Amino acid sequence: MNTTITVNADQSTGTISRHIYGHFAEHLGRCIYEGIWVGEDSPIPNTRGIRNDVLEALRNLSIPVLRWPGGCFADEYHWKDGIGPREQRKRMVNTHWGGVVENNHFGTHEFLDLCELLGTEPYICGNVGSGTVQEMQEWVEYMTFDGESPMADWRKANGREKPWKLKYFGVGNENWGCGGNMRPAYYADEYRRFQTYVRNYGENRVYKIAGGANSDDYNWTETLMREAGGYMDGLSLHNYTVPGGFEVKRPATGFDEAEWFETMQLALRMDELITRHKAIMDQHDPKKRVGLIVDEWGTWFQVEPGTNPGFLYQQNSLRDALVAGLHFHVFHRHCDRVHMANIAQTVNVLQAMILTEGAEMLLTPTYHVFEMFKVHQDAEALSLHLDTGDYTLGDESIPQISASASKRADGTLDISLCNLDPNREAAVSLQLRGLAGIPEVSGRVLTHNDMNAHNTFSQPETVKPQAFEGVRSVSADGLSAVLPPASVVVLTLLS
Amino acid sequence: MAVNQTCKGCSADVWVTEAQIQKLLAGMEGKGFSFVSETVYQTRLAVCRTCPSLVYGTTCSHCGCLVEVSGKLAGKKCPHPAGSKWEKAEQASASAKS
Repeated sequence: MNTTITVNADQSTGTISRHIYGHFAEHLGRCIYEGIWVGEDSPIPNTRGIRNDVLEALRNLSIPVLRWPGGCFADEYHWKDGIGPREQRKRMVNTHWGGVVENNHFGTHEFLDLCELLGTEPYICGNVGSGTVQEMQEWVEYMTFDGESPMADWRKANGREKPWKLKYFGVGNENWGCGGNMRPAYYADEYRRFQTYVRNYGENRVYKIAGGANSDDYNWTETLMREAGGYMDGLSLHNYTVPGGFEVKRPATGFDEAEWFETMQLALRMDELITRHKAIMDQHDPKKRVGLIVDEWGTWFQVEPGTNPGFLYQQNSLRDALVAGLHFHVFHRHCDRVHMANIAQTVNVLQAMILTEGAEMLLTPTYHVFEMFKVHQDAEALSLHLDTGDYTLGDESIPQISASASKRADGTLDISLCNLDPNREAAVSLQLRGLAGIPEVSGRVLTHNDMNAHNTFSQPETVKPQAFEGVRSVSADGLSAVLPPASVVVLTLLS
Repeated sequence: MAVNQTCKGCSADVWVTEAQIQKLLAGMEGKGFSFVSETVYQTRLAVCRTCPSLVYGTTCSHCGCLVEVSGKLAGKKCPHPAGSKWEKAEQASASAKS
C-alpha cells in the first residue's frame, strides 16, 4: 500500500529540544585518546591537543551537549587526578573497560576547552559509586565558583581565571550496575544525599540528573520518582540496540536481512520504553517538570575482527543510519518529556559519528543522519498522522515508514522519513494542512543499494547524503514522493 | 544471589592472550584474505614490538588493531601519525638485500 502522511503545520506538539541531538564521550577504547585527544606534540594537526579534523567535523553537527567522562568510567573517575601539569598526573587503571591504562591527560580543563571549541554545553557525570560527597561538591566548586575559595583558587593556579558555566550534572551513572550495584531505594537515598551538595555558585544553575533505569526496569523509575523526584531536574534512561543480546553480539557488517529486521524491531522498542517510563513519571510529576534524559543509546555489535575487544570499536553501516533516524523520530514524539539524549559514543566506540586510524578520519552513516536531522534542533514538533503499510519478514511485521515533521522559527518545515524495507521503495503521499501556497521543496537522501554499505578508510564516501530526486509532484495540498529502499530522507519545505 | 546479567563492560578485556590471537589467525585461513609474505610479516611485527605506540603487548594505540593480526594483512598499513613505520622498515630491508 501507499503511505499517506498528514502533517498539521499549524499544530505544534512541543519543542524538540536541541539537546536530543547530544553526544557522549567516555574514556573508553580510542574515543578520547586518539579519537579526540592526541596531545599538543602530535604530528596530527591539533588545537591545544584536540585534533583539528575531528573538531571541524563535530562543529558541523552543531552538537548541543556532550556527556563526559562516562558511563561506567565516571564512577571510578577521581577528577583531582586529571588537573594540573600533565606529566605529574596520576596514571590509573580503568577497570570497567578491561584494564585500560588512564594517564589522565584529558581532564576537566581539556574537556571544558573541547566544549568551548565546539560551542557545546558540557554535561559532566559525577562519581557516586566510588567517590565521596566532598569530592563531588569540590568538583562543582572548582568549575563554577567565581570568587575566593580553595577550589576556585586551585582552578586559577591551573590557568583558568574565570569559572566555566556548567548546567548539566549527573549524580552517578548506572548505579544499578557498574555504578555501585545498588538497589533503587538505596540509590534514591544516596542520590538525595549527594545532590544536596551539588551547589549553585554565583549565577550558575545546575540541572541535576539522577541515574535512571536500565531499559525496562520500571521499578527503578517508580522508586526514584517516588523517593527522590522532588530533588532532581532529570532522570536518565539507558537502552542499547543489541541484536542477539549482550551475550551473543552480532557483527556490525556482513549481516543478512533477518539481522537487519531484528535491529529495526529493537530500535523501535525505544518508543515502548519511553511511553512506559513516561507513564510512571506522569503519575509522580504530572506537570512534567522532570526531564527524561536518554543519555546512552545506540547500536552495540561485535568489535571489528582483529581489533582489541576491550576497545569496543565497531563499524557503522547504513543500518546504523536507520537506527539513528528511528530514534530521533521517537524522541521527537516524546519531546514533552525527553529533554536530552546522548548517543554512545562520539568517536571510535559503538555507534560513532567518526572513526579514526592515526591521522586518517572518516564520517560514518550515523554522522550523516545527525547532520541531516540538525534542522529539527529547537524546532516545533508538528502533529502528524501516518498511515503506512508493513515491512514483513517471515511472520513478523513492522511499519515500513517512520516520519517526523517540525517547523523552524522562520516557518521552514522539515520532514524526515525512514524507509525500513531494504527491498521495496515506498510511494509516499504527503498531505499538508495549515500551509498557505505551494511550498518550494528540496531534499537529501542517505541510502545505498547494499544494506551492508559502510565507509572505510580506503572508500570513505560510500555512504553519504545525496540530493533527493524522488519528489514527483508538489501542490498546495502537499506532495508525492518515492523513497528508495533502506533510506533516510529529509525534505525541506519553504513557503 | 541474583547476578546482574545486564552488565555491559565486565566482559571487555584489553589484555588479549596469545591463544586468542592464534585462534583469530587460524580463523582467517581460507576466508579470502590477502596476506603478506612471512618475511614482510616478521619485519612488521619487529617494528611494532619496539614501537612506543604498542599497548598491552598486542595492540596499536593508533588503530586499536592487534598487530599480530593486522601485520599479516596485505591491505593494512601502519597508522603511525608521523608516517608508516612498516613502510620504512620494509624499504630498509629491501635495500639491504639488493
